[in-house]
Amino acid sequence: MSPAWAVALVGVLLMVSVYLVAVMETIFGLRVSGVRGYGRAWALPMSRAALLLSQRRSVTERPDAQAWALAPALLGGLGAVALTAIPLAAGVEVADVDAGIVLFGAALVQVMVAVFLHGWAANSLFPVLGAFRMAALALSVSIPFSLVVITTALPAESLSVGLIISSQESLWNVVRQPLGLPIYLITGLGFSFWAPLQLPDARDLSGGTSAEVSGAALLVWRVARASILVAVAAMGAAAFLGGYLGPWLPGWLWMAVKTFGLLAILVWSGHRIARPRMETAVKLGWTVLLPLALVDVFVSGALTL
Amino acid sequence: MRDLLARLAVGAPVPVFPVAGGGTREALARLRLRPDVHLVDTPRHAIVLLVLGEFPPGEIAGLAAVHDMIPSPRVTVHWTPGGPRDDVPRSMRVDGDDTALVAALSRVAGEVLSGTRASEPPIRPDVDPVEWRGIGPYGHGGKGMTGGTPFGRPLAERAPDRDGLELDQLSVTVGPWLGALPPGLELGIKLQGDVIQEVEIHPPAVTLERPDGWVRALEVPVPVAELELDRARHHLVWLGEALRVHDLPALGQRTLRLAQGLTPGDRGEVERVLAEVRRTGIYRLALRGLGAVDPSQVGGLGPVARAAGLEDDARLDDPTYQELGFRPVSHRGADAADRWRQRIAEITQSLDLAGRAGDRTAFGDGVVEGPRGRITSDGILPGAVTVDLLPELLTGLEWGDAVAVVWSLDVDPTGVASRSSPEGAAA
Amino acid sequence: MSGIVDFLFWVFAVAAVVTGWLVFRTDSMVRAAYWLMASFVAVGAILVTLDAQFLGLILILMMAGEMTIMAIFMVMYMMNPAGLNPMTMVHQHRTAAVAGAGAFVALALVGLLADFPDRPAPSGTDPTVDLGVELLGESMLVFESAGVALLAVMIGAIALVSKRGRYGDADEGSEEPILEKTE
Repeated sequence: MSPAWAVALVGVLLMVSVYLVAVMETIFGLRVSGVRGYGRAWALPMSRAALLLSQRRSVTERPDAQAWALAPALLGGLGAVALTAIPLAAGVEVADVDAGIVLFGAALVQVMVAVFLHGWAANSLFPVLGAFRMAALALSVSIPFSLVVITTALPAESLSVGLIISSQESLWNVVRQPLGLPIYLITGLGFSFWAPLQLPDARDLSGGTSAEVSGAALLVWRVARASILVAVAAMGAAAFLGGYLGPWLPGWLWMAVKTFGLLAILVWSGHRIARPRMETAVKLGWTVLLPLALVDVFVSGALTL
Repeated sequence: MRDLLARLAVGAPVPVFPVAGGGTREALARLRLRPDVHLVDTPRHAIVLLVLGEFPPGEIAGLAAVHDMIPSPRVTVHWTPGGPRDDVPRSMRVDGDDTALVAALSRVAGEVLSGTRASEPPIRPDVDPVEWRGIGPYGHGGKGMTGGTPFGRPLAERAPDRDGLELDQLSVTVGPWLGALPPGLELGIKLQGDVIQEVEIHPPAVTLERPDGWVRALEVPVPVAELELDRARHHLVWLGEALRVHDLPALGQRTLRLAQGLTPGDRGEVERVLAEVRRTGIYRLALRGLGAVDPSQVGGLGPVARAAGLEDDARLDDPTYQELGFRPVSHRGADAADRWRQRIAEITQSLDLAGRAGDRTAFGDGVVEGPRGRITSDGILPGAVTVDLLPELLTGLEWGDAVAVVWSLDVDPTGVASRSSPEGAAA
Repeated sequence: MSGIVDFLFWVFAVAAVVTGWLVFRTDSMVRAAYWLMASFVAVGAILVTLDAQFLGLILILMMAGEMTIMAIFMVMYMMNPAGLNPMTMVHQHRTAAVAGAGAFVALALVGLLADFPDRPAPSGTDPTVDLGVELLGESMLVFESAGVALLAVMIGAIALVSKRGRYGDADEGSEEPILEKTE
């Protein structure tokens, strides 16, 4: 695939999926709040975006202006990079790298840097607290996350996402490694700091790292955050649900169905599960998810041998 | 381009930052239900600054800092649920009911977005708090490694932390209009990282919230059904606001909607929603073990006292309630989760009482059990005592936990007003 | 193809050096930490262009957490939290300059004079497989001893910061009790 096509493809895919995530978020929100009639939800994200674009940027006292401007762009870029590692249909890989799953992991771990900079650069109390929260949260979930992701490479005997998908021809990894997908989804929520794990941008910090951001910068930040969630769901579909594999339908459609199925679960959980305390979240990462992820590695490794 | 954006933006809910004065709790809850308005958590995300209710004249000026935090384009609207204010220019105020307010908010936002109305200029001059330019070796006001006031800001102090390390300590004032705290609550806190080392309560900037129905019940007997529905409504509004701060805004909206036009017949729906709140796991994930109170300090504090295991309820002494067979619900753990459980249990209990009460009346002899606790004719509202609990409870907590504790206590900052100005409390 | 690889190599090489230099030119601890990370990311990218994808990407993956932790610890322990007073990242200028110049000369001499082996890898080798064989083959003893030692350190660190500290619960303060003479 030529670079220009690849950039265009990833850009369009991300924009469409992020818009659909915003629609989903609105519909689930209306549903939980007991309002019927979701027709409005389809146009609402567009109007919200236009409203943010009409707003001027806010300025704090002596921010780290460059880092502040960089952070949302970096976050969005990381979402795009993470997405390039995932085959969208049989043979359609944007970045055909042998260590695709490591590329994905590297992009996601860098999310911590983008969020930390975003909070730090505003030079204001609550954003900085949000930045510290992101560091604690991301460090707690990153090891279980990496472990379950790398475990999917064991049956494939390869780090290439394409081979990981084709290794699931007979049996999906969600069955072969039952611990994998739940741990992956929980830690993935942590990396995309999406509800219920939106601790860095939580309301008890008045919006955390984005508390001082307005206008286009806020729009880019929200789009970028959703793009990380999309990348997480797409890799979940590829690594655990067999990606584009499936009968009758074309491969890309299977991939889309599985990705949006996972996105629906992730977005839904944000409205149905309470945000844990920081300490509970960290404890969950180190004392529950990490040991379970180790069990996942050992059992899957033994089965592969 | 600007026209196109403005036209598209009309479809979005207007982002409004509310600054709620006295007596506007219910109005604020109603406003949260309006699909055309989005009450945001920080002025940075708003277009309209909505000044709700009454403020002492001096405090309107204090709002200038909030006003200037709203990025351009910005516009201010004043609205008082009870009636118009004469000291606000007609162009900035809305007279009329909720619907008039929502229409006005959409209108002014549309005008200021399309450019037909000018964005308001900042109120406060852009000056440094302390002179610093040209001072010191780098001309930035600093001296050496840790001296001076670089860029006009004092450096953090240092103090031992809970592990005996000497770490930086940051003194900040939070509130009174912070989205994460109840309106009007202003705290002076010292932070190390996000751990609170010291808490000081500042006198609030708002006028008294007048719990009219409850104060009236001090003198004349009032219908039990009315009182109990009021209590259930109060707790539902509290639950809605607290769920929002715990990042469950949609569920919070559903709770606030229940509070509107509540009748004893809504019990089924109320129980469904409360079950949903429990199913979010909020007790276990966010509340358990936080802010346990000493039962000996919470006498007269209604749900807070009963959550701590006390059978403390003025309704026990009232003949009408005795006749209805009233027994208070209570919990044992005294922590934030128990206070949530307590209020949630009291909502259904109150609906039950309201359904059975018929046209019986109660109270009227100088003591009333209000939704926050015992109200007596000495004018001190239970909120005053609840606020006094904060310094001890919040010290040593992380910021997020502190916010959870503040909401679990259903703090009423106006209670401080009644303490610091006793003559105002009689109002 | 090799033209693009050469071009990318030089882009990342220059980026690695420039960002490394910026580490010492900034007066903010967070910026210093992240400039250093940018330098490592550029080195990782060079490794990827040299067909060592796994090593390069792992380097990038590791650095995010490490540099964030470094930044937080610097902020936590330095007297000057927000870097409000310009804090130079360079101390002992003379010693630093001599050491820097000496190291540069020494490395340059090694680069120019050493007789580097010329063993181009046969095409089709998978560096990840080679790495795995090396780690669990000949060098297993070395890596496993280092790995077990590091694991022990990590468990020790977690034990030190765990809630049930030696002198009481961590969130209530784990200060060592003052020794007092009892009557």
